[in-house]
Amino acid sequence: MKFRDRVVLALRHEESDRVPIDLGATLDTTIHIKAYYELREYLGLPRKPVRAMGVGGQLAEVDKDILDLFHVDVIDINRTLDPVAPYPYRFKFVSAIDGSVKEVSDREFYVWRAPYGVDVELPRYIEVVEVGEGFAGYSTGKLFGIMPRSGYYFDSLVRWRKDKPPLADVKSVDDIKKFDWDSFKVADDVVEILRKRAEYLYKNTDYALINNFIGSPGGYHDAGGQNLRGWDKWLSDLKIRKPLAEAILDHIHEVRMYNVKKIVNAVGEYVQVIKIGSDDLGTEEGPQIDVKTFREFYKHRFEELINYIKKYSKAFTLLHSCGSIYPFIKEFIDIGLDAINPVQISAKGMDPERLKKEFGDQITFWGGGIDTQHVLPFAKPDEVVDHVKKLIKIFAPRGGFIYASVHNIQPPTPPENIVAMFKTAYEYGKYPIK
Amino acid sequence: MSKEILNSIKESLINLDLDRTIDFVKKAIEYGVKPLDIINSMADGMKVVGDMYERGDYFVADLIVASEIFKEVMDILEPLIMREKLKPIGRVVIGTVEGDIHDIGKNLVATMLRANGFEVIDLGVDVSPQKFVEAVKQYKPDIVGMSALLTSTMINMKKVIEALVKEGLRDKVKVIVGGAPLTEKFAKEIGADAYGENAVIAVDICRKLVEELHKSR
Repeated sequence: MKFRDRVVLALRHEESDRVPIDLGATLDTTIHIKAYYELREYLGLPRKPVRAMGVGGQLAEVDKDILDLFHVDVIDINRTLDPVAPYPYRFKFVSAIDGSVKEVSDREFYVWRAPYGVDVELPRYIEVVEVGEGFAGYSTGKLFGIMPRSGYYFDSLVRWRKDKPPLADVKSVDDIKKFDWDSFKVADDVVEILRKRAEYLYKNTDYALINNFIGSPGGYHDAGGQNLRGWDKWLSDLKIRKPLAEAILDHIHEVRMYNVKKIVNAVGEYVQVIKIGSDDLGTEEGPQIDVKTFREFYKHRFEELINYIKKYSKAFTLLHSCGSIYPFIKEFIDIGLDAINPVQISAKGMDPERLKKEFGDQITFWGGGIDTQHVLPFAKPDEVVDHVKKLIKIFAPRGGFIYASVHNIQPPTPPENIVAMFKTAYEYGKYPIK
Repeated sequence: MSKEILNSIKESLINLDLDRTIDFVKKAIEYGVKPLDIINSMADGMKVVGDMYERGDYFVADLIVASEIFKEVMDILEPLIMREKLKPIGRVVIGTVEGDIHDIGKNLVATMLRANGFEVIDLGVDVSPQKFVEAVKQYKPDIVGMSALLTSTMINMKKVIEALVKEGLRDKVKVIVGGAPLTEKFAKEIGADAYGENAVIAVDICRKLVEELHKSR
């Protein structure tokens, strides 16, 4: 059976020959560069630098040999390793290192030695400069984050308290109007590259294809209001500064609809899945907000977005939302969301059996394949096998399940556990599940 | 009269009504109610908010609104308090450990501790063991609080405790740890005195730790 068909059947809540597997198709279902390097060492694969798929989180682009070994069914259309669409995107920017004007494509790479001890392939539009605190990262000449000397990620300047969120100090609806919202609108040449890549991979591979690029802001809540106002400030905006929150969301929604329309028109006929956003609504202990607030501010906006995609393409919609989000799942089902990720099973109320029983026939669980906080890094391989079997037994029946870890695999994770995990997912995931 | 106003302050805070709380606080000041009594009412209200959060009736957003209200009230009361020289329940030095930049949980704990009468010195994020030791020497706190969000950085908490032992400071403070990947087991293994599962529990534990410490001194 073709990869693509397998994934589509799962999203249609039908059982194919086995549960489809995702490693590396999204920036929420891949693996940290360090853990990936150690995995390749363990497997005896030729030593080489690891290519970064996500620079900030130091996430690995997964090589074809691993995709084959783990029986992965789905890939990102912006992949830069084989299978790769031959359409580079060109950047022109002023270098942060020497002030010269640089013209590079997003397919040109160089090697950078990360402080956590791995040679990393970074795209040439990324520059790294050593500073007091660690390593400052620049993207097309703009500082975006700093990796601490003993760190594993480039943390944002806001986290470092070296910068404020862009709308931190706004007081009135007028202040909000003055913000350059148009800068978020996706450029036509970017959209054209996406179209070419999607078309090429659709015609030249059997993989299921996902488009992760939805432009900025990448959501309404976490990647939306919280990103622009501050994590905590936005939460209180929703309660005690409602007119401000509404005004901000109106602008966010206008830009998101603009971007979604452009992108769906370009890739809609080629990709099977469109990621509609990254909007963490939960914490470990519970939802960040109550359902009433969700309905007041978010539900109708998500609905309009999802409706457009449904109307103008056959692609399934996927939302990333970390944490304890149980009360929102029904709301998302109401508005037609097809799949949810990462399905954080260790968060409060996210019990796999309950989720599958109450929602399993109406939404696809894209994730939930292993507890990456407690089991994958710390258990013995045979405990990992048992744990994965249990989860497959719960999530897999009647389709509606794409196997992936709960969020990215982080160091330190024993490579034997990763191998045990994907081996079990492949072997035990055969339908009908025993 | 003042009892009624104090109760209204507490209730408005519990209802997360910023405007009403500020109004009642201003009224209370006009009527000559002592700042300490206002703060105590606020603290009682915060405790109820914390309990509601524990029960799942309130969410993180609500805790944040409550601490915003608290901060605004403190801004009004601070100039009045300076004159009164109130003694804090205890002094806490808090920080996120080396290599880790996450601070939302730590900030919430710091705010709730202040709301409950503690003096808090916040060292920020990516705090090295040396920096923790220096802070203990400088501020002579009752409690050292450490936060970490990553499995790869929580191990640095052990380094801090070892550094305190090495400097002969370990028995002068109580150590509480917290953060998403942490467990009671881990806290025991590294030699911490306590593990705080969330901000509300952390405040309760800190109160008890200060009592223990003062008894032993």
